Order: sequence, then structure tokens, then C-alpha cells
Amino acid sequence: MAAPPDLPPPEELLKRADDMLKHFEGGRWPSHVSELRRTGYPLHVYGVGLVARKSPWGPSTAPVQFVSTGVLARVAREWVPGRGEEVHFRVFHTPGKFLPASFLRKLAELSRRLGVGLLEVVGQTGALVINLRKEHAEQLVDELRAIGTDVGGSGDAIRALNACVGPALCEFALFDTLAWYAEFHRDKRVNDAIATPGFPYKFKIKLSGCPMDCARANRADFGLVGIWEGAPEVDQEALRRKVEAGEVDPRRLEERCPSRAITWDERSRALIINGERCRKSMNCIRSAFPAIRPGRNRKVAVLVGGGVKGRFGPKLGWFLTMLDPDKPRDAIDLAFKVIEPWDREGVPKDRLGDYILKVGFTEFLRRLGMEASGRHVANPTYIPYKVLQREERDKFLKLSEELGR
Amino acid sequence: MTAPTKPAKAERLNKVFPVDLDKYLPEPVKRNYGRWVDRRFHGYGIIEHVSETGERVFTVKVALPPNARLSADTAEKFADIADKHGIGAIRITMAGNIEFLAGSLEAAQRIREEVEGMGFPVGGWGPTLWGINSCTAFLTCTTAVVDSPSITKALGDQLYEYFTGEKTLPAKLRIYVSGCPAMCAGGTGIDIAIVGQWGAPPKIREEILPMCLPPPKALARIPESQVFLVQVCPTGALTLRREGDKIRLLLVPEKCINCARCKENCDAFDYDPENVGVAILVGGKYSNTGVGRRLARVLVPWVPAVPPHYREITAIVRRIIDVWREHAREGERLADMIDRIGWGTFVDLVGVPVSSMHYDRPFAGTRWKDEAYPSLRDALR
Repeated sequence: MAAPPDLPPPEELLKRADDMLKHFEGGRWPSHVSELRRTGYPLHVYGVGLVARKSPWGPSTAPVQFVSTGVLARVAREWVPGRGEEVHFRVFHTPGKFLPASFLRKLAELSRRLGVGLLEVVGQTGALVINLRKEHAEQLVDELRAIGTDVGGSGDAIRALNACVGPALCEFALFDTLAWYAEFHRDKRVNDAIATPGFPYKFKIKLSGCPMDCARANRADFGLVGIWEGAPEVDQEALRRKVEAGEVDPRRLEERCPSRAITWDERSRALIINGERCRKSMNCIRSAFPAIRPGRNRKVAVLVGGGVKGRFGPKLGWFLTMLDPDKPRDAIDLAFKVIEPWDREGVPKDRLGDYILKVGFTEFLRRLGMEASGRHVANPTYIPYKVLQREERDKFLKLSEELGR
Repeated sequence: MTAPTKPAKAERLNKVFPVDLDKYLPEPVKRNYGRWVDRRFHGYGIIEHVSETGERVFTVKVALPPNARLSADTAEKFADIADKHGIGAIRITMAGNIEFLAGSLEAAQRIREEVEGMGFPVGGWGPTLWGINSCTAFLTCTTAVVDSPSITKALGDQLYEYFTGEKTLPAKLRIYVSGCPAMCAGGTGIDIAIVGQWGAPPKIREEILPMCLPPPKALARIPESQVFLVQVCPTGALTLRREGDKIRLLLVPEKCINCARCKENCDAFDYDPENVGVAILVGGKYSNTGVGRRLARVLVPWVPAVPPHYREITAIVRRIIDVWREHAREGERLADMIDRIGWGTFVDLVGVPVSSMHYDRPFAGTRWKDEAYPSLRDALR
């Protein structure tokens, strides 16, 4: 970025930058500026950016041997008085993002000794970010590996995976998100695709234990969401107790069900849920757990093509198929199966979802050798003509024959 | 490089992933893994998790500074608090909050007092503001056009009492603040999304551009469709023109949709701060609750982002929240309320003039197959 037109002379600029920074140290919300003041981060650069209303940072490099992702380096623009640089590592977060106090201390100690004493405890990829000094980059890689984590997760590679807290601290988890998370990382193909970029663009994998999607699987290239089939399970006796205690209003459950799947039978004082209608919005379960809990026929839904940044703007993932909650290997194989055609044919900087939009979902399924399963399109086309493949016409020929019999 | 160290360094390609649950999960969490049966709320900042074994873990939710920035000093103080009052562990959330884990309600209350004493508010569960996610913007990013951490700070100051629960909302509220159209704060699948907007097509710094293109001789031979910057542009606004024996990359402003993908891939694209602002979107969420997941829609296409107060932005966010508080039913998230009362009614209630961004489709005419794509909700039985 070039200097903005009316930038004041250096001394005046730095003074105004400092006033601006001081402003953000006031107020009740925790201040990032107050935290940065306690570190060796070049705060004047940030202040100058705020005054200039332009990012004060330009691209730079920090080569680290055999580390191809997760290292990011910046240098202050030439119009920033005093210049400055900023280098950071994206570091793999712990499962469920639990940090034992001893581990947090180690990270703080490392960041102080080899960096500027600054952490971003969660980035939007789910990674942990450590600011460092360029000359210590090699050493920081070794020391991070020694304490059990590593650098990675940038560029056109598989990014840091993200899983919700799952069974570790949540009663709604419908599959073991953290066990799956570990299983993905143990796979050599996943390791290699994280370590070395080579895809058209980034690829994100996110795992959510239930449809409330705390891990944001809906915006992943490959999202996994715990689900069940049929109606939630109702322990009528336990529910009646909750109703009598005034904790649950059954009429409200009925009214608030977005799927209109619930009826409360006043005579038998029983709650009836129509599993065919149920859209798994979790409303009744959250209101009356554990008297109402998810059904026992558990599945893991696979969503593909979601993403924020991409050729065609933000997208929510499309449903692909259901997997068995006890078979994480199937999910890993499927991830590489969907990567394959995109990796082969995708244009640089096309996300998987952009690629699917270009070839069409039907064609994408054909390339995977998969079929559209069941009733999963609520919004069919309004255009009554298309070139149909022989097999598709045969399917409907069969239907008409059956009906004609 | 000395020869003996090389194999050790090459070993770096085998990543060390912190996935060992035994090492990272605190003991009470390990003991009750998969055995949680209930939860109770103590105010808006403490959750009691109940296990089928009868054991309880109390979680205290604390807001972090914008962009989840912590100094090593503060991190160590947090570790001390976790050891002194808690079960020796904390948890970080995707929403950019920190959760302290404790063994009793009394211990949780002590943690609350200590962190509040340090200036960190406790709250963010139930019908409150659950947190504000911010990308890094001017703290490190080269492509941001507005500074999301300071916008987040301005919003946090204004909405503080909605986090602590001193004032409540109809339902949960989350806000994402992103510095540019890359939307790194988490996209737009959220109640309120604020996204940095270029406002006008980029200005090309001709002196930098050659660094992003093949050398002139190669450029003359490569088909246009194989030139990286041409590939990156979704609308064909970046195109090659032959001028005599020279080939130039041109920007066709009429075709530009300000997606900023060129800027993400080449430092030659620049802007004038006067054109820059933010778009404000409402009614998104990733969760399947209520009306289900959806992306937020553009309510306000552009307002300036003027530090340090960002008055234009905070005023609109407050207005959205006021309309929501006035018209929502209890427990109704912004997306659900907008769905019930209708988008047009909502736009009128906030008092926003009609914008082309309320009806235009930026990718019209591109290679986008407008088919019906399967959604998870429709697939469920």
C-alpha cells in the first residue's frame, strides 16, 4: 500500500499514532493495545496504520528449513517512521483447545524468550499464533516440537483442523469429535497435505459433534456434523417430572419446534415427536435434556464445498452423504476422494465449493462415483428441459413400468 | 548448513500434532469423558456441567481482548489463577473467549472475582452477547482495508453490558468483524457481520505489478487464461491488452466487484482511504437451530470506518440490536426474527435506504451453475 495522500510529517504522525493508541486503552472492554504494551510488539507501526487508515504492513519472508506452511512475516511499509517487522507462527492447537496451566506457561515462556512475549490464543483457523523474532525461527520450531506441538496451517494446504469440544465437556456430542480429530492427524496423507502446500487453494476440515455446529463445519471445505435419524428419544416419566416441577412447558416445546414435529397429548401426558418431520434443530433437546435426548441411530453427516474466501464468495457446505460414527477412517478416505478431482482440475485459488459450482453438483458426484442420496434437494429446478443420461431415463422408465403394472 | 543436522531438519516434514487426549485434557474431564448428562447456568458467565458419576465441573467464561491477543504476562497470570482456584486448566473457544475450569461454584466465583479485578468481564452465555470475533487486520495483515481489532474494541465498549448480562437480549448474539472481503473473522454465517469494503475498484501501482506477472517475454507467449492474476479475478475484470509490442494487465472498472482477490495475491493493488468503509450484514448463523443455518444478508452496503470512535458503525449495530430487542419473541435469534417479520419490514424498522446490494447478484454472468444444491436440513429424516 502506498502512503495515503495527506500523511503528516514523521514526528506529528507518531504523536497522533500514540494518541490513537491511548484511546484504545480506555473503555471497559479488554484492550488489545494494553496487552500489546506489555510485549515487544512494534506498537507504533499499528498506531501509524490507524492514523493513515491503511494497513502499515507489507509482505516479507522468513525462510525456515523444511517448514513450508504456518510461517508468516511482515515488514512495515516505507512510510512508517522507524519501520519494524512482525513474524509469527501458526501453531497447532491442543484437542478441544484445553490448555493445562503448565502448557500455557511453557508457551508464554517460549514466546518471551524467542519472540516478543505475545500470543494470539486462537486465530480464526483455530490455530494458536506466536509472535517471534526472525533470528529465533529455527530454534522455535525445535522447541515447539519438543513440547509436543508444531508449526503449520497456511497456504494452499490442509489447514489446521478444528473440532468442537465434543464428549470432553458437552452432553450433546453425537460422535467422538476429538477421537476423530486425533485419527485424522495420525494419517500420513493428512500430515503430508498439512506440511506441503500443493492444492489449488486452502482446504479446511472441521468437526462438530451436533447440528448446533460449534466448530463451524458448515463453512468448511469438508465438514463433519453429528446427527441422528428419526425422532429424539423421550423419557416420558422424566419429562413429566420436569413438567410438574415447572422446568419445562410442553406447550412451548410444541410451539417452538421449528419442524412442527411435536404434539403434547394432555390426556396421557406424553410428548409425541414425528421423526419424519424432525429437522434436528435441537430446540426440544436443549429445553428438556436429559428427558429428551437425540435418537440412538447416530450418523455423521458430510458437508462439502463450504468456505468464506473463494472465487464465488461465502458459501455454506452442501450435504454429500452420511458416515458411521465409529469409522473415522471412512471420513479420511472420503476427504481425499473429494480432493482428487478438485486438485486435478481446479483453477488456482478456486476453493472446492467454487470448483463444484463450476462443474455442477451432479457432475461432481459423477466424478466421485457417488449418487445423490434420497430426498436431499428441497429446491428443484424450474426449467423443464435437460440432456439426460441413459441411466437416468432408465430409472424413470422403470418407475412408469411399475406404476403401469 | 552442516551435513549432520540435515536429516534431523528433514524430519520436520513429519509434523508433531498435539492430539494426545491423555496429555492435554484435565483429570476431571478425562474421568467424565462422554458421561456428561446435564448443565446448569449460574448467572450468565458460569456453567455447571454434571456427569452421570455425580462429578461436576464449573466453567467460567471470560472475554479476551480483540483478536484474542494476550501478552505472555497475562497468560501466566491466567495460568496462576487456573492453578490457584481452578483445576489447573483453561480452554480457549473459537469465539475468542477463555474458559476457566473449576471444581466448585465457590472456586468459580473466586476465579470470576480475580479476572474481573484484572479488567476481563465474565459473561456471554444465555441471552447475551457471546463474544466478538475479529481478524488481525492492521496488527499484521497486508490486505486489510479497515482495522477490525479497534472496531471490535469500540463495539465491545458500547455493548459491554450485553456481555456481562447487566442488560439482556432476546437470545444469543455473536458479531464477526473482518477487515476486508476475505472475511477472516469467520465469514458471514453470524447474527451481525461487519466486513471491510473497498468501496471503489483498486488502483494499480504499476511499478509493483511486474513482480506479480511472468517476465515480459513469457507473458507474450502464455495464453491469457493461464496468467495467475487473470485466473484469480472471478469476473474477468483483470485482462491482458496488447499495446504495440508490449503486453499490459488492465483493470476494467465496470467489471470489478471489489472482491479483493487480486489484492490477496499481489501487493500492486491499492486504495484511497476515502473510498473505504464497511458493509454490515445481519441474520446469519451456522447452527441448525430455529430457521437453520444461513449466511447473513447485506443490510448496510457501506459506511465509513473512522477511528477511534467508529461512531457510524456502532450506531448502526446499536440500532439493529434495539429493533431486535423491541420486536423479537423470547429466545428468538436475529435470523429467526427477520424470517418471521420479513426482510422488508426489518429493513424499514432499522431505517435503511434501499441499496443496489439488496437485490444485485455480483457473479451474474460468471461460470456459476445455478442448480439446486443439497442442504443438510433437507437430507435429514
